[in-house]
Amino acid sequence: MSARAVLVVDDDPFIRKLVSTTLEDVANFDLHQAADGIEAIEAAERVQPAVVFLDIDMPRMDGITCCRELRARLGPASEPTIVMLTAAGGDDVEAEARAAGADLFLTKPFSPLDLLRLVDELGGR
Amino acid sequence: MAEGSADVSSLEERLQRVEREAASKERQLERYAADLRETFKQERAAAQRLRESYMATVRALSNAVEARDAYTGKHAERVAAYGLALARATGTRLADDPAIEFGFLLHDVGKVAVPDAILFKPDLLSVEERKVMERHTVIGWEIVKDIDFLGEARLVVRHHHERWDGMGYPDRLAGEEIPLAARVFCVADVLDALTTDRPYRRRSSLAEAQGIIRENAGTQFDPAVVEAFATLDDDELHHIRTTIA
Repeated sequence: MSARAVLVVDDDPFIRKLVSTTLEDVANFDLHQAADGIEAIEAAERVQPAVVFLDIDMPRMDGITCCRELRARLGPASEPTIVMLTAAGGDDVEAEARAAGADLFLTKPFSPLDLLRLVDELGGR
Repeated sequence: MAEGSADVSSLEERLQRVEREAASKERQLERYAADLRETFKQERAAAQRLRESYMATVRALSNAVEARDAYTGKHAERVAAYGLALARATGTRLADDPAIEFGFLLHDVGKVAVPDAILFKPDLLSVEERKVMERHTVIGWEIVKDIDFLGEARLVVRHHHERWDGMGYPDRLAGEEIPLAARVFCVADVLDALTTDRPYRRRSSLAEAQGIIRENAGTQFDPAVVEAFATLDDDELHHIRTTIA
């Protein structure tokens, strides 16, 4: 089985590092990072990710706009699973993100075990 | 002046943002620590359950052997208790091996293959019968040799009838060629045999048994193990004999 690309998008390098480190060696993943929405779109077009972890609140282009762009640009051939990283209590944001094409939500501060379980389930898809 | 206050308010805003981010990082780290604690707790509980199921399996196997023999009663459990006390007294790493008790409990597992007519014969065994009887060490080894969790404790099953002078069986190992666990165990085994009633003789007192073991240091037994045996508290040995009956 060839490695599946995973793209971690967050303006906070700490979160990018944490997610990447947690997912390292767990599954057959090829991990990539981006610091904002614009970088994310460039990276996504290049690596065709199977999974995108996407922060909402970012400079230059926010996560929801980025999510909508990714869905528009990547097309049905390489539909990634988009996991939004959200703050607690953001029900309105979740609805907006769902409308923009987000599949799943991981609430910050996220549980690394939940993150691993989520990835485990995605691996079976 | 207006410019100055704008600077101040933008600085305050930046400061607040930095503080928010720091607080969020802290919460995220706490979440990792909480998951780590939980994972560790679960791992410990799983290891405990695993150990308990090993123990239950080993006991079931050793009980299956004992169930045939009304005379030995709880011999395996008693001898395991003596063996553990003696292992601690030797001051070696043997007592730290959690599987060693399993080896002690299973020492006679090969007796499942010894016919009743030989196992329960009250008279002395013929040469042929003795050979069959002695095979319980090798048969026992065949039974347990692939059970990895037993580790070195497996060697007790094969070598508990070896003698320090090389005249034992099945491999006629001598001195330190005999695994330490087996050298320790055979003292415990003989102690229990001597202090239990058998069809052909009454049991010896603890003092008599201790004397016999001392006399056989350097021939049947490892002298260093016999020395450690001499340091064991009589009350502890008495307690094992009377409580596991």
